[in-house]
Amino acid sequence: MTPRMKLAPVSEELHVSWAPEREHRTGIAASVRGISKRFKKARVLEDITFDVAEGESLVLLGASGSGKTTILRIIAGLEQPETGYVILHGKDVTDLPARERGVGVIFQAYALFPRMTVEKNIGYGLKIRRRPRKERKKIVNDLLTLVQLEQHRKKYPWQLSGGQQQRVAIARTLAYKPQVLLFDEPFGALDAQTRVHLRREIRALLRKVKVPSVFITHDQEEALELGDRIAVLNEGHLEQVGTPDEVYNHPATEYVATFLGAANLLLGVVTGDFVEIGAARVPAAKETARFRDGQSVKLVFRPEDVCVSPDANLPEGCRRLANAIIEEISFVGAYERLNIRLDLTHRRQAESEPPLYDVTVNTPEKMRGVPIIATRPKPDANTTKYKVGDRVAIGLTSFSLLPNYTLARQR
Amino acid sequence: MVKVSAVRHVRGFDVARPLSISVMLAIMLPLVILPLLSIFLYGTKNGLGSFWSALIAPEAIFALKLSMATSFWATVFNVIFGLFAAYVLSRYDFYGRNAVIVTISLPTAIPTAVAGFALLLLWGPNATLGRLLNMQGFQLMFTPYAIILANIFVTFPLAFGVIKPVFDTMSRSLEEASATIGATRWQTFWYVTLPNLRGAIVGGALLTFARAVGEFGSTILVSGNLAGHTQTAPLYIFAKFNEGQIEAANAIAIVLALLSFVIFSVLFFARDWLEFEAQEV
Repeated sequence: MTPRMKLAPVSEELHVSWAPEREHRTGIAASVRGISKRFKKARVLEDITFDVAEGESLVLLGASGSGKTTILRIIAGLEQPETGYVILHGKDVTDLPARERGVGVIFQAYALFPRMTVEKNIGYGLKIRRRPRKERKKIVNDLLTLVQLEQHRKKYPWQLSGGQQQRVAIARTLAYKPQVLLFDEPFGALDAQTRVHLRREIRALLRKVKVPSVFITHDQEEALELGDRIAVLNEGHLEQVGTPDEVYNHPATEYVATFLGAANLLLGVVTGDFVEIGAARVPAAKETARFRDGQSVKLVFRPEDVCVSPDANLPEGCRRLANAIIEEISFVGAYERLNIRLDLTHRRQAESEPPLYDVTVNTPEKMRGVPIIATRPKPDANTTKYKVGDRVAIGLTSFSLLPNYTLARQR
Repeated sequence: MVKVSAVRHVRGFDVARPLSISVMLAIMLPLVILPLLSIFLYGTKNGLGSFWSALIAPEAIFALKLSMATSFWATVFNVIFGLFAAYVLSRYDFYGRNAVIVTISLPTAIPTAVAGFALLLLWGPNATLGRLLNMQGFQLMFTPYAIILANIFVTFPLAFGVIKPVFDTMSRSLEEASATIGATRWQTFWYVTLPNLRGAIVGGALLTFARAVGEFGSTILVSGNLAGHTQTAPLYIFAKFNEGQIEAANAIAIVLALLSFVIFSVLFFARDWLEFEAQEV
């Protein structure tokens, strides 16, 4: 997980090029400690803590109203937190005004100065800092080359495309070597195709300049692609911080599981090395380790983690869950989606029993079955075809267990 | 071959168009066009020579100069204060803000004679503040300063009214961006905010000036209307007309009419230019 913050003294001279001097450092660039904030009576942020490592890109992911913009504005110094600290390269900047923090904000609509040319926009930070004209010119030229806008240097913002404007906005912040780059929904105003294109461009650019950055977005696909790590926010508190793999494959909470992609949830009870879900017993020695016997848990798995087999023979690495019946088959472009109803009322198959039970779910007692969603890649879908009403065996390649807090609270 | 339709559509003659244009012009003729035209016709009736001699009469020259000077200072004050007031009122929210906005705009609705009267009541030689000034050996009323004060009062809301909406619609993120880049408030105002306001400032200044130059009602009360000392151009016109010197009055009237014509042409035609500039530069 995140390395512990070290309040190591940081040398005065933070940046030499866009950031190369930091390459050999393995410190924390920005750190948010216990930030809380309320507007009027409404609590917007609750005890938010996370770090951004040097050269890392962290994505704050959350639905609208989750407080992600407020976090960004607090880091930038455009908003004051009620409690907590903002630390940039080891220095507490909580009480510093925005202009003394040296962060670069890329606003949603880019906020380029309409009366300045591309060149002047990029040179603004240096002009403000009263750098000599020669140095200014050199840095602006280098940045124009970096963001490939040399031939647009004399143009005004309104003469540029959205993507070009965004590059100007980034170059404008890079000019004064920001401690951290903050992107406020950078692709919100663009159409789907440009968006995908631009985020690859930005990712490549950030790899080049190695400036630590924080993105905010509500788009999970964007988060997975842009983030070295993702912080999932829900109604003002952090649900989980982790790599895209951790967050997607091992969600820490139900919210994370359902917000990032589709997820199936089943209620179960821990029994030794197994999870019991109704009549089904799933071996889960590793997953149950952190739970006590008899604890109520939620079993979470993605549609693509489901293996489906027409007989009892599940593929290698698939843990048997239950028998089921196929209720609906839909073809969704890249894969096939199956709506499946699990039979969790019958006992597990015994040695002598036939491989498949008569699943009761297609009877008037249908409601006793539990619906899940599974997806199959095309090759599978093409080799083994199913039709609605087919009885199948269901296994899981991977899943995670979450404590069932809702139930615990009810007790 | 493509079959050509038998009935060719001939461009029809729309009667409504010339008709409505002529009606509009017919209404405007006695109301606006003829009065303006008559100033020019009467003023130059006895040849340009007499017009010129009426114009360069010392009192006339003085009245014009005084009008220009007092209007200029009133404009300077009202543009600067209007800018400041617009900045404060669109950037900060405070209790009673709307009341302040209404009060600032109030002078537009107050009859100018009332405005002049009110100033007299406050600053006159026997009034509260006027007596205080008198003790310092300074008299405000019946001096050019009184004219500036009256002009300021009457044209108060004009520049503010033009600048405020531009402030309101200007994106906050521009100023925030400037702040995060490292600019002080003053630098942000100078490099980012002010350039966006250029059109509004020029427009507001022209409006204020045009209105101040023509101000009569309040000026006549506070200035004392002393020829060669506190007589502005509109007062001069009124005085000469009362004395029966129509030609003298007419010469100045022509100058004022032309001046306002020029100012409003600039406002009208520069509007596109200013907005274009706002986008381009």
